[in-house]
Amino acid sequence: MRTARVLLILPGLAALTWGALLFGEYLFPLRADVLGTLGWLVGGPLVHDAVVAPVVGLAGLGLSRLVPSPWRAPMLAGTVISGVLGVLAFPLLWRAYGTPPMPGLHDGRPGVGLALTLAVVWTLVVLTGAVRAVLARHRTDKSHARPA
Amino acid sequence: MKRLPIPEEERFAAASHSARVTSRIGLGLAITFTVCFLTGLVSHLIQHPPTWFFWPSRPIWLYRVTQGLHVVSGIASIPLLLAKLWSVYPKLFGRPLVRSVPHALERLSILVLSAATFFELTTGLFNVAQNYPWTFYFPQVHYAVAWVAIGSILVHVAVKLPVLRRALTREPAEAPVPPPAGLSRRGFLRTTWLTAGVSVVATAGATVPLLRNVSGLSWRTDHGTQGLPVNRTASAAGVRQAAQDSAWRLSVVTPAGARTFSLAELRALPQTTAELPIACVEGWSQSASWRGVAVPDLLRIVGAPPGSSIRVSSLERYGPYGVSVLPGEHTADALTLLALELNGEVLDLDHGFPCRVIAPNRPGVLQTKWVSKLEVL
Repeated sequence: MRTARVLLILPGLAALTWGALLFGEYLFPLRADVLGTLGWLVGGPLVHDAVVAPVVGLAGLGLSRLVPSPWRAPMLAGTVISGVLGVLAFPLLWRAYGTPPMPGLHDGRPGVGLALTLAVVWTLVVLTGAVRAVLARHRTDKSHARPA
Repeated sequence: MKRLPIPEEERFAAASHSARVTSRIGLGLAITFTVCFLTGLVSHLIQHPPTWFFWPSRPIWLYRVTQGLHVVSGIASIPLLLAKLWSVYPKLFGRPLVRSVPHALERLSILVLSAATFFELTTGLFNVAQNYPWTFYFPQVHYAVAWVAIGSILVHVAVKLPVLRRALTREPAEAPVPPPAGLSRRGFLRTTWLTAGVSVVATAGATVPLLRNVSGLSWRTDHGTQGLPVNRTASAAGVRQAAQDSAWRLSVVTPAGARTFSLAELRALPQTTAELPIACVEGWSQSASWRGVAVPDLLRIVGAPPGSSIRVSSLERYGPYGVSVLPGEHTADALTLLALELNGEVLDLDHGFPCRVIAPNRPGVLQTKWVSKLEVL
């Protein structure tokens, strides 16, 4: 265990140092636009911890309480998948800082692509939920039918 | 004044916060990040080769696979990172905030880890969309922070190794109490893997031919010129006029002297046809049929040995990709072409007319278009 930890920590520290040096090459001499880059660096954890995680947590809690048991897991999975697909689609849908036209790249319809993907995901959610609900009812009926 | 209702660590009772879940997702994330780092490093080394570095010209599809993996593993890392952070989210509320110097260092290292991984995934995702809402030069900063990310991951795994081993090898002493609501431990893990899988399937069509008509969020479409995407048009490169000038000549400079070739003279040389992929650093790739003069043949014609390195200059004067160096490994390969035709037609202006380099197993940005000069080094 001790050897494994040393074997991980030494190259880890070396990589960290090398990365810090490379980042330093970019960072210095300090200039105004560097501040924006630092914003991109600290922005991730800040936005996640202060906004994304609480919203996801509350949404998950709400769904868990409102949705009946057989539907709960598929609905939660569908919501999580939809959220992540939204994240992946965001830079394709909002290309205010996109490159000049590139035939064959970024000239499709990501909005339609996202809508169709979500339609497939939610069809599967509904099918899975329905199957689970039927199975749950079947199990309940069986246990009620069993003689005491 | 009312205080914000900040929860305590112990209030997070969901199964998703168990050490077993954290460890499993952490392991998955370590794998995807390592693949992403190594393939990104390969791409960086090909583009900025140190003297010790060697990159083969075969198999022709290798870079297509490594760079495809880079982007696919990066995409898969997004849901994995979010799930991992959700799993450990209660620790953010652990009190006291700092227990000791090592504890403070550990918390600081996690902040570095989280900042670096978020930065890499966010900037990478925007880069595949070729969307740049920042002022920095993407390759430089993405590369620097990649070292910080992989370094902090290694340190984090080393620090957490005992926890990781305990969580992955031992079954919990008693059956876990089912939480009042929400997903079970297994349910949370399944949802995480499923989300990573859906994310990959929704995007990987940019590089995986089988998924071409399945990936709704692929950034590659079928609207490319001559059936192939164009990363930089002749207009964007500012070469429309120069490339169509009838006075255009290809100049080939060797230690023995210089020779020029008109387009007609290049067409009169022996032609080679090759099926080669264009594989872009942004992760998209596509095969096409190319025809032109094989570079080893051209070198023999001008009296230079195949296997010599060549500096390739474009009519594109500005931007980082106007000049590239073709290493000897590639100039000796009979499939490295100075292409004049694409998919059975004269090369379109946007694909590099009058001629462009197309070599096996090379990043697209090094397949220099609108070539005006070759210098044997």
